[in-house]
Amino acid sequence: MAVSVAFKSDLLSAIPSLRAFAVSLSQNADKADDLVQETLVKAWDKHESFQPGTNLKAWLFTILRNEFYSQMRKRGREVQDSDGIMTARLAVHPSQHGQLDLKDFRAALEKLPEDQREAIILIGASGFSYEEAAEICDCAIGTIKSRVSRARTRLQEILQISGESDFGPDSIAAQVMGSSAA
Amino acid sequence: MNKKDDQVSGATQQRTSTADPLGTNSEIARKLKQYYDELVADEVPDRFADLLSQLEKAEPARKKD
Repeated sequence: MAVSVAFKSDLLSAIPSLRAFAVSLSQNADKADDLVQETLVKAWDKHESFQPGTNLKAWLFTILRNEFYSQMRKRGREVQDSDGIMTARLAVHPSQHGQLDLKDFRAALEKLPEDQREAIILIGASGFSYEEAAEICDCAIGTIKSRVSRARTRLQEILQISGESDFGPDSIAAQVMGSSAA
Repeated sequence: MNKKDDQVSGATQQRTSTADPLGTNSEIARKLKQYYDELVADEVPDRFADLLSQLEKAEPARKKD
């Protein structure tokens, strides 16, 4: 069966979102575009398994995510570093006026484990419901909720926007130690 | 489905119950949006439209229905 013109144009219009999600996952623009390309090819091949009327974007995100994790497995997680080296590199100070810098935010996001990062992106940025995110990630809704919650807490710690700590080396050291200083 | 323990990390923020783990109005939520919207707004390289056209051409003669 031929791929319909409508399907092609739907794919086209999904590309900006797919790229944003791919960058969020892989933290690398080149890899992200390769992921999107792979996703489009797969979507094209499997278009008959897509049920018109259901959420195309969620379907595409699922393909992209699966592709990402399968590539990561193949590469043996060469670059991922959830807690190690980058932690040292990352010394985020909130800017002087308490305004959170986007660059700092990006660096903080990069530090999250993938499962938390994808959860908070899907819910907080891509506009999916918890139900949809759970389907995309093939897990329970409660799992997504707890990942989002942990991601948020972690980001707050890294960026020190809990409102309780002063700026400075000491409080940063405390964060790096992972203490949940009350 | 999920153990209560999973939610403990959120215990310090009572107002963000499980109903809204993200805290829609939080600074984090706003930055997240900003971060993502910037990515979405990035100009799409031609290679993707080209790819789709190629896929279309490569299809076996399409049947009319």
